[in-house]
Amino acid sequence: MLSTKGQVIERLLGGAFICRTRYEDSWRFLRIPANREQVDAYLGQLNRLVVTIGTGPDTEVFFCGYRTLGDAERKKLSEQFRDICQALTPLVEWLVLVQDAAGQDAPLTEGMPVRLNELQTVIEDTPAFREQLGHICRYSLFKSTRVDVDGQIKLIFKRLCDLGYLIRPNTEKQIYLATGKLDYLYEVIRFIDDAEGLNLDGQAESAIQGQLL
Amino acid sequence: MSDHLKQAGLSFLRQLARHAEPIMEAYLAGSIADQALESGVRERLLKDGILYRPEPGADLHLRRVVRALLEEALRDDRNRRIDANTGSALATFKTLADHYKEAHHQGDYAAAEAYLGDLKEHVYAFGETLSHGIRVLWSRINNEFGYVGTLDAKIRENELAQSQVSELLAGLELVSFEVLAESAGDLRELRHLLVTNLQRTIGSCAQELSIVQGRLLELLGRFREIRGRTRLIKGWLLHLTQHPEYQVGPHAAGSAIPALVNRAAPALAPASLSLHDPTQEAVLLALLAQVRSLHPRESRVQALAEAPALTLTVPDDFEVRSSTTRAAVAAYFCEVIDSGEALSALDYRDSRSLPWDAESWLYQVLGGYEGLPEEQKRHFELETIGEVHPLYSGNFIIRDLRLWLV
Repeated sequence: MLSTKGQVIERLLGGAFICRTRYEDSWRFLRIPANREQVDAYLGQLNRLVVTIGTGPDTEVFFCGYRTLGDAERKKLSEQFRDICQALTPLVEWLVLVQDAAGQDAPLTEGMPVRLNELQTVIEDTPAFREQLGHICRYSLFKSTRVDVDGQIKLIFKRLCDLGYLIRPNTEKQIYLATGKLDYLYEVIRFIDDAEGLNLDGQAESAIQGQLL
Repeated sequence: MSDHLKQAGLSFLRQLARHAEPIMEAYLAGSIADQALESGVRERLLKDGILYRPEPGADLHLRRVVRALLEEALRDDRNRRIDANTGSALATFKTLADHYKEAHHQGDYAAAEAYLGDLKEHVYAFGETLSHGIRVLWSRINNEFGYVGTLDAKIRENELAQSQVSELLAGLELVSFEVLAESAGDLRELRHLLVTNLQRTIGSCAQELSIVQGRLLELLGRFREIRGRTRLIKGWLLHLTQHPEYQVGPHAAGSAIPALVNRAAPALAPASLSLHDPTQEAVLLALLAQVRSLHPRESRVQALAEAPALTLTVPDDFEVRSSTTRAAVAAYFCEVIDSGEALSALDYRDSRSLPWDAESWLYQVLGGYEGLPEEQKRHFELETIGEVHPLYSGNFIIRDLRLWLV
């Protein structure tokens, strides 16, 4: 059996995002600065370190980054960034679909539950949502050839669990929880927004006001 | 005099009790129609100041004091009203203190006593109003403004609560203990009431209000963040629809790489088991049992159930022709199982430089997939890549196949 520290190191090296929802023990462990130093010291031997995102006191997400960047590391980072950018649009469309279908103000963030059955009922009853779901399924991220809502939505949820954006705490229930990796996604969009000056916030607001007028 | 007041008060309270139902209806619905009440009852309630008509022709409404009494008793969340009028309370204190001092100096102790009682009532009520205001604020914070639906409404409610807190704090700043001490003079009871007592009340209220203010700001920050996230993702989709050719810049390629993008690739491969470790024997056996259970078990049961009559005949001669195509298809399936990733049939053919042309190879793969037993087949998913025939509907031309594990 591994100690908590061993477990944390294993998860970090395995490329996992450590958040409160997914790995609460590891997350609590890493929040203590002394523990984090120990893990950092160990990872240092492998040219790695612990990176944190999230500003709130309970919403930190930890993952593993490189300590120094050589050519090989840069290549890896570029690849990864390209991958995540390709996944952004399908994921964002899915987030908007879930938010709209549930009629919520807030998009999914770490720790929020999604009830697949309820979502499915709403989507099945609303042609616009059905169409949106079909559109999302055509992205290569989900690559589904199914035509029924049931098959499509289950495949998407399964893919999202595989990719680490959702977890299913109880395998007998169709209730999923969003993980800290989704928060990472928001941070990436915010970063691109800042870096390229896209002013996404303003665009969305003017669109909303346009609708109201 | 006091006996008369007592009688009048009792009859007022009885009045309330007797008409509890219409009063509660008016409280819940906001107003009550004229027709809902008998005219005698309506007149009485209007006369006693329990109901009033805000404008001619309007329905009857509950008087503010009655409504406040009910809100207070029911701890109703909708209660947003906070009385922050410190100035008038202070002026009342000063006036009553002056009355008391005057009566005291003139030796009219009975009058002085009455004024002191009055003043006490006002000071206590002032403290009570403050703590009530704070409690109202807390109850709204604690359910996170759950009584309004949308996020924007919550943000507005939060802003209202913040302005109320600032008003309360500004009101508390008006209280100057120097002035109060001066108006209390050297009268012990007055000093106790106006300085010691009030100081304690205001001290604890100010402290609590600053905590309330902190919590409100924190909540507002959270609401704004949630709203920011919604706008972020909606803005992203909007941006993509407006600029379909948009590509994210190469942010991970520059010289300064932000921490956000710095994500190390997974570095752990699964370790292998040590077959010579006797302590792991139990685990290994369990794993082995699982491997076996993947093989079809039903076939054996069926064979027993449907065993035909056994006749011994000379078996027909037949030749098992080993087909290189079938072997290649099997190898393709194994490759998909080993890699665990989707693999295109044509890519595979090219990478192994297999001799068949594209069409017959695709036919072989399709045939191999369809020929699998059902329980193996459901572990795979086969996607046909191609296009619809431009002229004849209902015809689909397959250009490539992709196979992956489900």
